[in-house]
Amino acid sequence: MINAKKTLLHNTEAIAIVGMGVVALVTGGYNTIICAVLAGFLIGLTAERKTGSIARAAVVGLIASVITAICGYIYNTYVIKLPEVDNQAPDQIVNYPLFVAVVVGTLVAALVAAIQNIPVEKRRKQGIMIFMLACALLFPFFDQCPTLAWNQFGIGSAIDPTVGCTTQKTLIWVNAAIVTIIFAIQAMGLNIVAGYAGLLDLGYVAFFAIGAYTIGLLNSNHLVDQGVMSADNIFLKYKIMFWIAIWVCAAMAAFFGLMLGAPTLPLRGDYLAIVTLGFGEIIPVAAKNLEVVRIFEPISLFLRQLAAPVGQSLDRIDAYGFFIKNTLCIFGCGPAGLNVTNGTKGISPIFAPSIAGYTFKVGEYVPWYLLALLIMAVSAFFIWRIRDSRIGRAWVSMREDELAANAMGVDLVRTKLLAFIIGAMFSGFAGGFYGSYVSFIEPGSFAFDISVIVLAMVILGGSGNIVGVLVGAFLIKIVDLVVLEKIKQLLNGLIQHFLIVGADNPGLGAFIQRFLDATSFKVLILGLILVVMMKVRPEGLIPAATAKRQA
Amino acid sequence: MSILELNNVHTFYGNIHALKGITINVNEGEIVTLIGSNGAGKTTTLRTIQGLLKPREGSIKLKGEEISKIPAHEVVKRGVSQSPEGRLTFPRMTVKENLEMGAFQRSDKEGIAADMEKVFGLFPRLKERISQRAGTMSGGEQQMLAMGRALMANPKVLLLDEPSMGLAPILVDLIFDIIRELHRQKTTILLVEQNARLALGVADRGYVLETGEIVLKGDAKDLLTSPEVKAAYLGERGH
Repeated sequence: MINAKKTLLHNTEAIAIVGMGVVALVTGGYNTIICAVLAGFLIGLTAERKTGSIARAAVVGLIASVITAICGYIYNTYVIKLPEVDNQAPDQIVNYPLFVAVVVGTLVAALVAAIQNIPVEKRRKQGIMIFMLACALLFPFFDQCPTLAWNQFGIGSAIDPTVGCTTQKTLIWVNAAIVTIIFAIQAMGLNIVAGYAGLLDLGYVAFFAIGAYTIGLLNSNHLVDQGVMSADNIFLKYKIMFWIAIWVCAAMAAFFGLMLGAPTLPLRGDYLAIVTLGFGEIIPVAAKNLEVVRIFEPISLFLRQLAAPVGQSLDRIDAYGFFIKNTLCIFGCGPAGLNVTNGTKGISPIFAPSIAGYTFKVGEYVPWYLLALLIMAVSAFFIWRIRDSRIGRAWVSMREDELAANAMGVDLVRTKLLAFIIGAMFSGFAGGFYGSYVSFIEPGSFAFDISVIVLAMVILGGSGNIVGVLVGAFLIKIVDLVVLEKIKQLLNGLIQHFLIVGADNPGLGAFIQRFLDATSFKVLILGLILVVMMKVRPEGLIPAATAKRQA
Repeated sequence: MSILELNNVHTFYGNIHALKGITINVNEGEIVTLIGSNGAGKTTTLRTIQGLLKPREGSIKLKGEEISKIPAHEVVKRGVSQSPEGRLTFPRMTVKENLEMGAFQRSDKEGIAADMEKVFGLFPRLKERISQRAGTMSGGEQQMLAMGRALMANPKVLLLDEPSMGLAPILVDLIFDIIRELHRQKTTILLVEQNARLALGVADRGYVLETGEIVLKGDAKDLLTSPEVKAAYLGERGH
């Protein structure tokens, strides 16, 4: 559709109608209203600004809303049969959202067309961007149980007094989206290191863990219980610790990035990969073991060790009373030492953020989702700006040709170090948010596979391109959280239907079931994706060049 | 007046003694060429001047200032830039971005814009391809881009490493016409070439390099007629 005037519908209008129709067809219920609103929104945003364009937007909006409503009706009637699920709602009440959808969708299209003021040449691009933003913002309400989402603002019952939700239906989609966003922020950060600067970091999870532990220590009662921090320090008392600690997380991750990067970045690529791999293993192990920390003044400690009988453990400090009296204890001098990370038991609960009197709660997903979305948007904006800055140019040129970049005046070590530090910062940021969100951190949450998943996101989506990396993050997380689960269910179902081995031999049946548990093949499947991508499309799904702005 | 002076420069690759005491001087506004066969140390000399390799001994002076001890990215700022051997353009960057990378160490916006216009004046082809990615261009165009990129640093001394390498004869002529034009504009150039006849044709003076040592030097015209050069590099039998 190159010449929009000659076709019946603009392509954005077609996207609105088809896309929202499909969504209504697979979600139905109250989601139909949201679909109609979004369709109307996009139609209004991209409407031409001429006489009669508002009327046209209204007409197209009406068409879109009616199609959406029909799709919603099909869902309500044939797919899920809502009254059966919810037990209480009679048919006519279930279908009344469809009429609301038609009216509201049309109105939104006309209204937005009337009041929007985007310059004509930018209308399509900006319209789609604003539409995507609206989709992201309305996503939590796109659930099988919309009342739950509205309820978190205390207005669920006002909107929908009759249709309740059965208990097993929670906002699992929103939870999945939040986890995905946390990974997407990490992927954007790793994109700086691996995509822009071309440095292979296999231990990226370390900075994530540092961020999570930083917020875990600062914004929980753990350090208060250890007597390190006072319980009535103003940050904890007024519940504003999160907003400060999240920056401290980023700063700590950046600091460790500097400490790791400064000695190792002059190394060639393969060695850097090994060093970072090791660092990614060290941090969780350190978190596991920093349960009893006691530091003595080192010289007399060394002497004490010399004087100790061979084979005696240093833990039996009492046996060497003389040296203890003469050894200056610097840190963790109590009988149990200082418990920094609480070992494998982990730190819990980590306090949730609080803003304007509202405190985030575990299980109330929507505010968390909006906060995560905000953090992701800020990160994406920052990274997008830095890509076009002087340092961003230096990164890309260094990845393209290190020698030429150096000859053009790029300071290689400094540029690599900056990439490493800024990349680590975003991982720390994501880690801080993650710690607050799950409210519980333990060393096992920061295993090697997180580094691999994030790297796979960057490579799958297209390293060096923010949009590509975000797409990669969402695709891989969808595979991880949804597709593998479905495959597992499918395989189990097939076994039960077609294989009778399990019937007479329960042990074998259980073995086969476990063997076919697709979720346990996650890392294998990610590895396969990486190998196939390297072979078929090494530049990623959305390579950097297509997204590059024209000069 | 001598703008670039190399005095007894020794450079090593590990244990391999690549430059064995090179002494070269380049005067302001002149083209000096370094000729020699493969492995003679021509590229090594340019990389040593640029700071990409560190000399173990000897001094390199730019306008009387020692530059052999400062890192490569600082050398660009002092006014030495090069079009490297094999061109080494940034393949996934556009022509404009490549040129802007050449001015990486500069911050004077107007000066950069003016120099870009100057580069486009020298290489109109680059202006036509301003938003094309460098990796998709032909060898000749990439050579022009590499030279334009080096000029964007507004160098006091321009180092050209094998600008004729791998190019069709008509493009070689074009590149050397541009070198002559740069000479008219009083750009100081140190030119490294395998094609001795072409190089001595445009240069004022020349040095002949053999296994890391200068074996011959003099006016370009004299070198062109010298029997040794004729025999070794111009494919003529001297008598």
